[in-house]
Amino acid sequence: MKLILDHQTPAKIHNPKNHHHYSFKDFFQFDADKGTIVDWNDAQNILATEDFIIGLVEGLEEEVGEASAAIMYTIGCEWGQKDAFFFEKWFEKEFDRPVRQASLMFLLETWWWPFTAQGWGRWEVDMGDRRQGFMFINLFDSALARTLGDVGKPVCHLYAGLFSGFFTEMVKKQLGCIEIQCYSMGETYCKFLLGGQERIDAASFWLNEGATAKDIEKRLRSGELK
Amino acid sequence: MLSQMQRLSFNVEGRYASDEELRFIPEYLKTYELRLQTYQKLQEIEQLVIQQVMEKMLAQDPNILGSGTTDISAKCKRDTTIVWRYSVAALLMDDPDTLRERCLLWFQTIMRAFRHQKLCQATYTAMQDVVKQHLTPQQSSLFLPILDLNRRLLGND
Repeated sequence: MKLILDHQTPAKIHNPKNHHHYSFKDFFQFDADKGTIVDWNDAQNILATEDFIIGLVEGLEEEVGEASAAIMYTIGCEWGQKDAFFFEKWFEKEFDRPVRQASLMFLLETWWWPFTAQGWGRWEVDMGDRRQGFMFINLFDSALARTLGDVGKPVCHLYAGLFSGFFTEMVKKQLGCIEIQCYSMGETYCKFLLGGQERIDAASFWLNEGATAKDIEKRLRSGELK
Repeated sequence: MLSQMQRLSFNVEGRYASDEELRFIPEYLKTYELRLQTYQKLQEIEQLVIQQVMEKMLAQDPNILGSGTTDISAKCKRDTTIVWRYSVAALLMDDPDTLRERCLLWFQTIMRAFRHQKLCQATYTAMQDVVKQHLTPQQSSLFLPILDLNRRLLGND
């Protein structure tokens, strides 16, 4: 049986083109009869507990050991790529214009809002170094890190993959992403570096050598690569 | 009020509410007449206030709304009207939480995306001055805190 997902809350029926529709009541539609939670963009959502997240991360580690980080990253990449297509569709429908005609920062904020509403955390994009070919994303309240707590290493590989997949698709250029600071390392928020693979590899190398996010930012800004 | 009602219905599930927990209802009812009068007044003066706010800002900084192809006056007027109507509804319902959740948090990220924080700071600072001239001190005491919430959320980096 194919489920037809159609968000029909009073807020959407009243004003389908309303852009600020991210409050809990406006964004989600719970249908107890069908057992579905459909968001404003007609995507099906599921609720997951912190136990689910712990089970997912620790279960995967148990199965594949250190490769679990790469697997989570790859899952994120595929998710991000698929979401870029999904986003293009709902953005055009909501704003009556293609994504490529929108201001970049506006576009990015619009992309991230459903994630904020779904509990993936708030973000802040730092495009100051875009011309140099890299940028930073700060993430507050990562669902993974706040669940796993202080484990002494970065844990948000899923997010890094999500950013890589989404941005690669949006700019049509292969971009990698690495988490260079994580709430799970005792920091107050998570920080990601997005850029070409050579920069991501360099950052990964520096990180393994014990560099902090600040060191990495400094080295990248000074044009150093390894 | 609506947010408080929701919290009340959530908190008292399976038990009876205490007098303390119910206190906000008579307090709201006490201010309802004043809220309604202010609501009607604000509805009446909406476009006048927004026009005066823009004039005041331009007098302070002629370039604040850009010029030529970068003129954002129309956009600014439209956005200010949207936020104004949410703010006026928040005054009537005594519900700044809903204003914050349904409108301001989203606007905040969009204003930051366009780097309009300075413009918002100027708008809601000027608006407090302008509104004061149209309302009684009692009416102002209900509405100015809401405009200040707008200023703080939209006007800060």
